[in-house]
Amino acid sequence: MSEEYDVEFVERGDREARFLVRGITPGFANGIRRAMVADVPTMAIDTVRFIENSSVMFDEQLALRLGLVPLTTPPEGEFVEDDTVTLSIDVEGPATAYSGDLVSSDSLVEPADENVPIIELKDGQRLEAEADARLERGKDHAKHQGGVAVGYRHLQRVEVVDDLPEFQEPESQIVRGVVEENGELVPTSEFDHDLSTRHPGKEIRLEDVPNAFVFHVETDGSFSVEELVTRAVDSIEARATELEDAVQL
Amino acid sequence: MMVPVRCFTCGNVVGEHWEEFDERANQGDEDPQKVLDELGVDRYCCRRMLVSHTDLVDVVSPYQ
Repeated sequence: MSEEYDVEFVERGDREARFLVRGITPGFANGIRRAMVADVPTMAIDTVRFIENSSVMFDEQLALRLGLVPLTTPPEGEFVEDDTVTLSIDVEGPATAYSGDLVSSDSLVEPADENVPIIELKDGQRLEAEADARLERGKDHAKHQGGVAVGYRHLQRVEVVDDLPEFQEPESQIVRGVVEENGELVPTSEFDHDLSTRHPGKEIRLEDVPNAFVFHVETDGSFSVEELVTRAVDSIEARATELEDAVQL
Repeated sequence: MMVPVRCFTCGNVVGEHWEEFDERANQGDEDPQKVLDELGVDRYCCRRMLVSHTDLVDVVSPYQ
């Protein structure tokens, strides 16, 4: 894509970020959101072979729990969809089996969180299993969603119009997200989401800035926010190219 | 039974916070609200996962 968009970070962390994109249509903003949720492939355990399970949970329950553990997703190009990586777990009670006990056959695919309890094992109970992780999309199963709670809001511009009439009751004016004030981006949490505490006694006008969206993105640990967003945009581009090729005469 | 690995609603991983939450808010006498804030469990969908959970492994284990 040759068009360039103006992207500005408001908060930036490894797993959580807030950024402003200017010059995109509402449809494209939603396209990015949907691609982040459903179209970026991530690794997750899909098939489990139990060798021994004498815990209090059934094999199927444990397989679901193992599947929901986020795994780090290898860089693009290392794996293609439907490739598998084998992980194994062997814990004997009395102990708790954690996601960190999963031993991977590939150092690119490791549990992203080490402290997720899988099952508490009592004296004499044992869990031994082999699991296959697959690269798939959020469309297929929620465990493959790389982005959690991905959303966006319109950027709103705050303008102080006038003083309030002298005897008017002060009314709270709640906004959430990020507002633009004199060209500066201010997260609303700075003033407790209430504009009347920021500008007491003033009449305020709020309006949407056209085609500017503030995204709030969190990942489950499979990759960084940056990676998720770039991969989501790449997937849109790939599909657009595919469509273009398909409809060409 | 065991604490859910992820939040049912948003898919955030909450299981990893259970042991600390249990120790501080259920066994200990800290304010659950404060503990959740410190653990970084912000949304109310994720918070209810921890607040409303009861471990049942000890209850069912004699009946293996």
